[in-house]
Amino acid sequence: MSTERIQELIEKYNAQQADPAEMKLIEKLIEEGLIDIAELHGLQEMEDQLVRMDLPQPSLKLDDTFYHMLAEEKRKGNGFSWKTFFAWPEFAPRLAFASVTLLLGLAAGFFLRAPQPQKDQQIGDLRQEVSDLKEMMMLSLLEKESATDRLKAVSLSEDMGQASQKVTSALLQTLNHDDNVNVRLAALDALKPYSKDSKVREELIRSIGKQDSPLVQISLAELMVEMQAKSSVKELEKILHNENTPTDVKKKIRESIQVII
Amino acid sequence: MLKVKDNDLDKLGLLFERYKKPLYGFFYGMNKDADLSEDLVQNVFLRILKYRYLFRGEGDFRTWMYHIARNVNHDHFRKNKLKAKDSLEHWQERLGSDENRSTEYQKDEELQLLSMAMDRLPDDKREILLLSKFQDKKYKEIGEILGCSEGAVKVKVFRALQDLKAVYKELEKHM
Repeated sequence: MSTERIQELIEKYNAQQADPAEMKLIEKLIEEGLIDIAELHGLQEMEDQLVRMDLPQPSLKLDDTFYHMLAEEKRKGNGFSWKTFFAWPEFAPRLAFASVTLLLGLAAGFFLRAPQPQKDQQIGDLRQEVSDLKEMMMLSLLEKESATDRLKAVSLSEDMGQASQKVTSALLQTLNHDDNVNVRLAALDALKPYSKDSKVREELIRSIGKQDSPLVQISLAELMVEMQAKSSVKELEKILHNENTPTDVKKKIRESIQVII
Repeated sequence: MLKVKDNDLDKLGLLFERYKKPLYGFFYGMNKDADLSEDLVQNVFLRILKYRYLFRGEGDFRTWMYHIARNVNHDHFRKNKLKAKDSLEHWQERLGSDENRSTEYQKDEELQLLSMAMDRLPDDKREILLLSKFQDKKYKEIGEILGCSEGAVKVKVFRALQDLKAVYKELEKHM
């Protein structure tokens, strides 16, 4: 639209002669920024007056209530409250930080952990070394002169759990040849858990004939009953036929043979 | 305002001192009720405090504040719509006291007439003229407050001024 036409419209408006269609046009031109409200007669003055127009002032009560509210808010801000702690805009970075820290911790744990099979291997090795050491100590103690030491050796073998063949044969050796009856009895006790082993079983039966102590003989006979070892009957009968065997022992052995058969 | 956002609440006191008068003027211009206007100003600052983290710092604080002020005003009148209709006597009382008040504040006869003319305008027109007054005729910012374009604001102001002029002239005749 030409500037002349715009000027014409403004003049018409100022002369209060603009018709409704022209008023619409003026509104459109104002919207597009082609006519400034200041150019229109009477409106600028009205707007200026409006700016000059005084409005009442708020009372001091408003200041009081506002500063009271502010103080209250500050007091709340200083104290801890779960509501503000979980308020989303502040909680989000906290949550993110906590999650990242947790993930970092998990990752660090994952990378720093010792490889599991290697650890198991180490523990196994250590256990083996300890039992080897116990075994060696036991064997050396069995050769000591003192009966107490030899008893200690026998009780040491009881702690071992699963003893090796070396240990059982050392115990059998003690059972057959030790001078001290108590040591022999202890060795017999220590051998009981291995009586299911066929070799130990055989040796135990063979040992019956080698014993001269009545106590060991009776203990062996009882063990044979427990083991239900029928092959031991021959050996036990040998003791019965021996003239040196005390009557009480003979009686006990006879009973044992009865039970076994 | 950005400091207030970062929990430096003392700075809200400064904002309050700067804007309490224009804000009060805006509400008073809208409802002509001194006590209510004070309550609404208080509500605006309460909302600013409550929603301070939503202030992005991109726009002008004043624009944001008037945006909240409009919402506070609308909320109040929506809540009290029924009550307001019922209390005709209350209105009469208020109108009486307002006349006293306006003589108190508007010594100038012209300005007194203008104030009366403003009171006779519909709410939306009175609102845009008050916003124009308190936002120093920055139509772009008013557009942000009302959610419309700068051009649309200009047209609204134009129409409101025309109505105001007409009412003013009418009152002048009767004086």
